[in-house]
Amino acid sequence: MIITRQKDFGEIKKHIRQYRSFFLIGCAECATLCGTGDEKAIQSLKNWLESQSKTVTGWMIAKAGCQIFGTKREISHYKDLMEKSQCILVLSCGAGTQTITELFEEKPVIPVNDTLFIGNMRRFREFEERCRACGDCLLAITGICVVTLCPKQMLNGPCGGYKGECCEVNSDRKCAWVVAYRILEKRGVVDKFYKKISGPKNWLKANSPRRYSARERIDRI
Amino acid sequence: MTGFKKKLLNDQFVFTVELTPPRGSDTVTMIQKIEELKDLVDAVNFTDNPSAKMRMCSMAACKISLEKGLEPVLQMTCRDRNRIAIQSDLLGAHALGIRNLLLMTGDHPFLGDHKEAKPVYDIDSSLLIRLVNNLNKGIDINGNRLNGKTSFFYGAVVNPNAEPIQPQLKRFEQKIRMGAKFFYTQMIFEIEKLERVVEYAEKFKVKIVAGIVIIKTKRMLKYLSSKVPGVTVPHWLTDKIEKLDDKDVQKFGFDFATSAIYKIMDRKLSHGIHIMAISVTEEVGKLLNFLKTGI
Repeated sequence: MIITRQKDFGEIKKHIRQYRSFFLIGCAECATLCGTGDEKAIQSLKNWLESQSKTVTGWMIAKAGCQIFGTKREISHYKDLMEKSQCILVLSCGAGTQTITELFEEKPVIPVNDTLFIGNMRRFREFEERCRACGDCLLAITGICVVTLCPKQMLNGPCGGYKGECCEVNSDRKCAWVVAYRILEKRGVVDKFYKKISGPKNWLKANSPRRYSARERIDRI
Repeated sequence: MTGFKKKLLNDQFVFTVELTPPRGSDTVTMIQKIEELKDLVDAVNFTDNPSAKMRMCSMAACKISLEKGLEPVLQMTCRDRNRIAIQSDLLGAHALGIRNLLLMTGDHPFLGDHKEAKPVYDIDSSLLIRLVNNLNKGIDINGNRLNGKTSFFYGAVVNPNAEPIQPQLKRFEQKIRMGAKFFYTQMIFEIEKLERVVEYAEKFKVKIVAGIVIIKTKRMLKYLSSKVPGVTVPHWLTDKIEKLDDKDVQKFGFDFATSAIYKIMDRKLSHGIHIMAISVTEEVGKLLNFLKTGI
């Protein structure tokens, strides 16, 4: 899922100083799992806005904020309340916020959250980055994503910086290549792996902005 | 053929030293150090923004060293340049007469003085070795023909301190397969750590240059142990140095380095010694003169 974190109220304040009335939009997908786009997050933002002498004209939670046409249909029911507001605050990831920008170009659309990464939830609301969406998945080889988990994106084994199994960049974390080595060992493919060399990685597949249409089965980069 | 290459390939013991290019435009001190080291060592390695701390580029330092008559080894990391810049810089270095390369991945910017910098790491050190191998054949990383071949003598690094050692040894072997002709080790405090690399290297025709540091102060040892990636200082050594008076640390450090070098030479554990004195040339001079009188 896409991991999001709510911005400090101080930062939000800078962007909304000149507005008095707001409509709030959450998201029922990833942002809800992160606690940044659910009803509770909306209520808490609403309370804070009201404490700042601002008005909330209404709010809604989109089923999936990143789904442009679906969200357009959903928000049509809130047209009047949205029109009464001077500004729309979106509690989703960056993709969801841009859906709203696309639908309301004339009104300021302000993100409430920072979009952090694609990750997994280990325990409730504890997230770990697992995928960088590089467009060229190597998981079949190493089992864990070394492009994401190794800060140097090493493709062919560890650097010389790990100490006692830990990464040179963050000693609280295991070196991704020490972990990958164990996986290769358990699968009995260490020698096979080290016989070959991977890369150089094709970063062309990660050149932004990317588009993809499953309808046409064509990568439109 | 460079003197450094000739000596290593002929199994003559080499002594090299590490110098860090200046942090600023003033080259006076560096030139002075080059002059001091000129007749003492076989080559000098110029670091590439070590510990991700910004310095003058290794290539300029190498060129200055060449002009002064001291053979340089250019260190090249993958941290700050993509494959285009690396190839371009290497062709430039070759045009300037630089022939020895030490290729490595490079410490992460997070550890340096520009923590917010974007890390590049477009390729890793194994791919960098293959890239240089290609340049020597007159082709680029994609296999496209170039106008002219390079004639680099290139090596890589291995860390005998790594725990667990197995992934490090496998990568060492991979680097040999990619074409690395010699290996520099991370600084060693325990000879047994070097032995396990040497033992593994026996089946390969590869030259090993062992990294030795001259400990000068308690603070320096603490810095090496806590701030430098891949450096492991054994507890017994830290305890021993901690108990010494400050004024005795320097002598202990000197004796410790000398005795390690003697052990390595006696047991033929390496083809050379690389002294990492954090650019303190007088210590290197003292050590090498001492060794030469002893040999």
